[in-house]
Formats: sequence, structure tokens, C-alpha cells
Amino acid sequence: MSLLRVAALVARRTTAAVLVLAVLSVLIFTVTEVLPGDAVGVIAGADATVSEREQLRRELGLDAHPVRRYADWAAAALRGDLGTGYVGRREVTEVLVDRLPNSLLLTTLAMALAVPLAVAIGLVAGMRAGRRTDRLVSTATLVAVGVPEFLVAALLVAVFAAGLGLLPEVSLVPLGGRPWDQPEILVLPVAALSVAALAAAARLLRASVAEIAAAPYVEAARLRGVTGLRLAVRHVLPNAVAPAVQVTAVMFAGLIGGAVVVETLFNYPGIGYELQQAVANRDVPMVQGLALATCATALVLLLIGDLAQLALSPAVRGRP
Amino acid sequence: MRTFDRRTLLRAGAVSLAAVAGVPILAACSTDTASTAPAAGTPTPRPGGTLRAAFVGGGAAETLNFLMGPTGLDYVRARCMHGALGVLDPAAEHGVRYGVLERIDVSDDLRTYTVKVRPGVTFTDGSTLTARDVLYSLNAPVTLGSLPFLKPPSQNFDLAGARVDDDLTLVLPTLRPIADGRLVLCQSTLVFKDGTTEFTPDIPTCGPFALTEFEPGQGAAFTRHDDYYGLALGGGPYLDGLELRTIPDATARVNALTGGQVDFVSDIGPVAARTVEGDERFAVAVSDLPYATSLSFGLNLAFAPFADVRIRQAVKYAIDREAIVRNVFFGRAFVGNDLPSLGFGDYADEIEQRPYDPDRARALLTEAGVGTIAVAVTTAPEVAGMAETATVVVENLKAVGIDATLDQRPTGQLFSDFAAYVQLPFAASYTPPVPPLSSYAATRTAGSPSTFGFDRPDIDELVSQARGAVDPDQRREAAVQAQRLIWEEGNQVIPVFAPSINGHATAVHGVRDEPFSSFEQAYLA
Repeated sequence: MSLLRVAALVARRTTAAVLVLAVLSVLIFTVTEVLPGDAVGVIAGADATVSEREQLRRELGLDAHPVRRYADWAAAALRGDLGTGYVGRREVTEVLVDRLPNSLLLTTLAMALAVPLAVAIGLVAGMRAGRRTDRLVSTATLVAVGVPEFLVAALLVAVFAAGLGLLPEVSLVPLGGRPWDQPEILVLPVAALSVAALAAAARLLRASVAEIAAAPYVEAARLRGVTGLRLAVRHVLPNAVAPAVQVTAVMFAGLIGGAVVVETLFNYPGIGYELQQAVANRDVPMVQGLALATCATALVLLLIGDLAQLALSPAVRGRP
Repeated sequence: MRTFDRRTLLRAGAVSLAAVAGVPILAACSTDTASTAPAAGTPTPRPGGTLRAAFVGGGAAETLNFLMGPTGLDYVRARCMHGALGVLDPAAEHGVRYGVLERIDVSDDLRTYTVKVRPGVTFTDGSTLTARDVLYSLNAPVTLGSLPFLKPPSQNFDLAGARVDDDLTLVLPTLRPIADGRLVLCQSTLVFKDGTTEFTPDIPTCGPFALTEFEPGQGAAFTRHDDYYGLALGGGPYLDGLELRTIPDATARVNALTGGQVDFVSDIGPVAARTVEGDERFAVAVSDLPYATSLSFGLNLAFAPFADVRIRQAVKYAIDREAIVRNVFFGRAFVGNDLPSLGFGDYADEIEQRPYDPDRARALLTEAGVGTIAVAVTTAPEVAGMAETATVVVENLKAVGIDATLDQRPTGQLFSDFAAYVQLPFAASYTPPVPPLSSYAATRTAGSPSTFGFDRPDIDELVSQARGAVDPDQRREAAVQAQRLIWEEGNQVIPVFAPSINGHATAVHGVRDEPFSSFEQAYLA
């Protein structure tokens, strides 16, 4: 794979990502506009007078036409200024810089837990396709994929926190510190987040391994006397992993967005937690900034997935 | 099952105010920090330790600028940092316990208030609080911008015409004669240094605690302000340190308490309270009157049937208030009488309690002769018990022949579109505890959208008289007359007052809820 080809791919994907982000920004803004009410209703409460509401609306700039507001926001965003939240008047960039690393830590750990386990489970099930182990794994992963994250989280809390008292029920990050300062607060959110990802990746890998295991070259290796772990690891896995990498990247990207539920349930200070609060507050600049940052992170991960797939797959590498 | 008797509690005054939380009972003197012997069974206040408390908060929206802070936690945090002019306490003289003020004198014509600052109140930088700081703080909601609930001083006093006589004396002319100016001033005003424009973590403050750490959406940490004036008066703060943490989800808050991650959690709701008190390691603290939130319903006069006073009365008689207190709040609430501000001095306690009388409701509906009334009762779980109360109300209305349906919105949706909200025919609401007359004048007089079309200049005039008459008996008479008219003809149904329900470890004592949690007298024992 030439460097030129990689550069061209990166350029194409980056251009596409910028266009996608632009379209998404319009969509997100439109959706927040369509939602009933605005930040004034949230801030002023029930007893504010009409004049107080109007004054607050002026102070927040909400009296301007939506198109004008979007244009102003977009122009500032192009200069790197994502604006200030309506509620609390905190800079969106400041919130992003503070919270995005926490979310990335959570999702990276979830992937770090899910991927090796998924490879092991997928390999074992795929090499035994159609047998009892495979049926058991397929059923278990199907159930795990279908169980909502909040239920997984509740079960984990009930067993490991409330029941056994082994882990904290809420992820309270030490003030002035970071989540890794108290690693035990990460265990349950990471576990809750990784269950569905693990199950989905294992199913994908199992299918890929089963297909490769039936290939003629694997059969030839078997006839040469290569069996067991060596056959799986040396001959099957390298070819099965490449197709799964892209999907794993999609799952990773999905976890970033999907962390909203887990972060909220465990009170974990990530992007998802802040996004949920911003939506409740009708805080348009904050929603815009956080949602776009989430999307941008997902797009970057997808690009990395593409590049990894290129690096791993001889077939893809050989394409003109 | 224990229910709260309104009249008993009103008589109980300061004793009831503090009993549940184990607060040392205040002496008759009206200062916020004076201490006396603790109540029977309550351990003696012990200095030391760090208390960790959890609140709903508001994520990144939390701010040190409490003037614009949208969450209750913003004000709780500010109360820890900044000194308060005082707090409302119906049992205290003039209904006020003073904080950084020594007293407020009112001229005979009710046109001039002389504010005396307590000597020796110091900021964390060692400087002394002066009358200029107090005036600047009173002006700040207008000059720096603020939420509506902090603006009453500027709505009632001519702050531009105020005069600083000396370092400790501030003279405030009123915009019109008012007798309840002390309540207006002490309702929510916190003080900071003259010239403050930014509320950063390092600004000098004169509250019981000094801020050491603040992370929006995560929490704040404090140490004791060792030069706090209350210490010299023999009161708190007793704690060495305090942490206020943000945990928006109610279940997570309770889990944090039971898991030992925090020692105190606010707003756990009546259902979780039963779980918490079932564990001997924890206790439940319930705020007492007047610090209870009124849960109400506005009957929109634009909805034709509610233009008839008989229909409005029928609705009021149809509601089983005791059942709401019993079944929704498990006894931890106060029966409402369709009048706001239960427990405050100007509340018309002499007006008889409206009974649950479905027969009378049916008779009034028949007398009105409007046929079947179909109406949606709109609510949202904005505060604990609000949606459940609406559910009971719907069933009560059905029982007297009104075709009522429940329209429950998600949390945060009820007031988000205020223009649409004020068009609703039967809309739930809630009001934090505020004195009745000044809040009526600010929010319920003609033209206010939250009145749902109830425009009564005669009542407005009575409220004005009640606030401005020089003779206390005339003031009381006007106040009661106004409230009787509201009770008889008004379009606001207030079936219940919900107190704050907090959970805490049994070692925690002295946390006051008035109506925001105050940790000045808190201690661990």
C-alpha cells in the first residue's frame, strides 16, 4: 500500500466527514428548534413574568431568527469557537476538553475488554461451527446483544455493588482528579458498556471464522496435520480479523454515542452525560457542540478502521 | 401512619423547623447562628470531619454565578460560600433570622428601611463586610443580571436612591410603602464584595465555608471559614470540610448513600424514603413548614367551563387531599387549602380547611348545568409526587362526573414551551416556598400569564393594602380578605404541600432545609 494511496483515502474521507458534519449540524440545529420550548423556559421556571422572559430571551440571543442564529453559530464554529451554553454560560469547548477524554477512556477500556474476549469467543465458536459450543455461544451472544444497556447496568449494580459490596454504585470522580485516579469507579460502567459490544463482535467474528475455517486452504492445512490452536491462530484468525476490523470500528464509534445511557446511570462525567443534561436544558449551543464532537470522534474512528482494514487485508491492499 | 397537621405545625414554629434534622433549636433571638442546647436525643455538636452531600445539580450548566445559576445546587453552593442577609423563619421576630445583618429598622410610614450590618463580618481575604457591599449585592441582580427569584429587592426598593450612612448602616427607600420589606430583603439575598463582576473560585467570600474546588457537573469542595462571624457567636460551622456532589439521577443518589459514597442526599422522594429509613444506618429528614413546595393546578379561565366559579369550586371539593398526602407522600406532606405559602406569617390560617366533599362537587356541577366536561390534566414529574398527585386528581374528577384524562409530559417538558403551557386548560405547577403577599404582587397580579386569566383588581388592591397599611390589624384584615376571595373564587387548586425529603447517614445532624439545604450548623456525631 503506497503512502500516496493512504493520503488519498484520508483526504477523501476527511472531505466526506466535513460534509457529513455540516449536514449533521443543520439537522441537530433543526431538531433542537423543532423541540417545544427553549432554554428560557428552563431557566425562568413557572413564575417569571412575560417581560422577564423576553429580557432573558434577548440576553441569550434567542430573539434572533433561527437562520441568523445558525449562521452566526456556524461562522463562529468555523473559527473554532463553538460558543457558550445558554444555561450556566459555560464555553462549549471547555466542556468538550474536560469531558471527551473521560468518554474516550470509558469506551477504549470497554473495547479493550470486549475485543480480546470477542476474538477468543468468536474463534472458539467459529472453529466449532454447528456444534454444542457454537450453539451455546450464539444463543448467549444473541441474548446479550438484545438486552438494553440500562438493564445490564442495573444487574451489575445489583450484584456487584448493592449485593456483594465489591464496587461503588456511582462513579464519583474525585474532585480535582480524573477517573483513573480511582480505577474502581470505572469497572461497572466499562462492564456495562462492553457487554453488548462484546456479544456483537463475537457473533461477527464467529461468522467470519466459520467461513474461513471451511476454506480450501484451511482444509489443506488440516491435511498437512495442522490442528487445534495452531490452525485457528495461524491460518484462520488472520484472514477472519480483517473483515471484522471495520465493523469493530463502527461499534467503537457507536459506543461513543451509546455511552449516554451508561454515563447517566453511573453519573460518569463524560460527553454522553453532558449531552443528556444539555438536551434537557434545551441548551442549543451545548447540544450542537457536544453532538458534533461525538460525531467527529466517530468519523475519525471509522477512518482509523478503514486504514486498519487496509493494512490487515491483502485483498483490499491489492485493489487499484 | 403519621400525617402532618398544619395548625399544630404552625404553632410549633421553630421547634418543628429543626426537629427532624436534629438541628440545635434556636433561641428567641433572631440571629441565624446563635446556638443553644441541642434538642433531646440529639448529640451535642462536635467539630471536625468532612461531610459529603449529593444533589440533583445540572451538569455543565452549574455555575458559581448563583445569580444566573439554574439549579438548586447553585444556590446551595452559594449559601456555603456567601453570607446571607438572613433567612425567613415565621417563628422569629418579624419572620426573619438575620445573618450578616444585625437588624432592619422600618420607619413608621413604611417608606424607609434602615439596614444595620453586623460588625466584624469578614471576608476570606480578611477585609470587613460593609454597607456598601450589601448595597452592591442588592443591586447585583439588576446590574449583573439574574434569575427572577433574586429580583424582589429591586422590585420593592428604590436602590438608586439608597444611601450609605456609615460602614455599617444602609438606608433603603421603598418604591411604595411596604410592611414585608424584611422578608423581601432576606428571602434570597447573598452578599459579596462591592465591585464583584465575575464569580470565580478565588473571589473573597464571607460565608461559613471557603471554596477550594469547583467542577461544574461534578461538585465542589470547601473548608471551614475560620473567621466566620458565626463561630464567635457560638455556632457553626462545625465541619472541617464539606463536599457537594452532583448526582442527577434519583436512584443513583440513593445508591451513593447506601453504598457509603456520600453521607447526605437531597430530594430522594417519598418512595425511596421508605427504603432508606428501613436501613438502621440511615435516616430521613423532612423539611418543615413553611419550607414546603406547593403542588398546584391552574384552571384556565379561557376554557369555558372554568369561567364559572361553581365549576372551579366543584373541582376543589372533588379532590381528596388527605388521600394524596397518604398515598402519594406516605404521610410526608401537608394538606393544602387552595392558598399558597402555607406556614408563612401572612398566610390566612383562619380560613377553614376545604373538605373533601364529592357530593357537594356534584351538586355544584349540576347547578352550573354545563353538561359533561371533558378536560386533560397536564403534568410532569418536575418534583417528587407531582405526576402522582395529578393521577389522583384525575381519578377524583372522574368520580364526580368530570371526563378527566391525564396528560403526562416527560421531566423538563412542562414549562419548556411557556406560551403553550399557559394555554392548557388544567395545568399542574409547583411553587417553592415564598411569602404570600410579595410573591402574589410579583407574579399573580393582572397581566401575569401564570394566572391563567384570573384578573381581579379588587384582590390586587387588597394585597396592596395588606402590604402597605401602617396599622398591623388593617394589614392582617386585608391579607385575610384577599386570601378568602382567592379561596372562594380563585382558579388555583393547591391540594398539597410537599416538603423536601432528604436521606442521610445517622451520624449526620444539623442540616437545615430552608428551603435550600444549609450546612452551616451541620456536624457529624
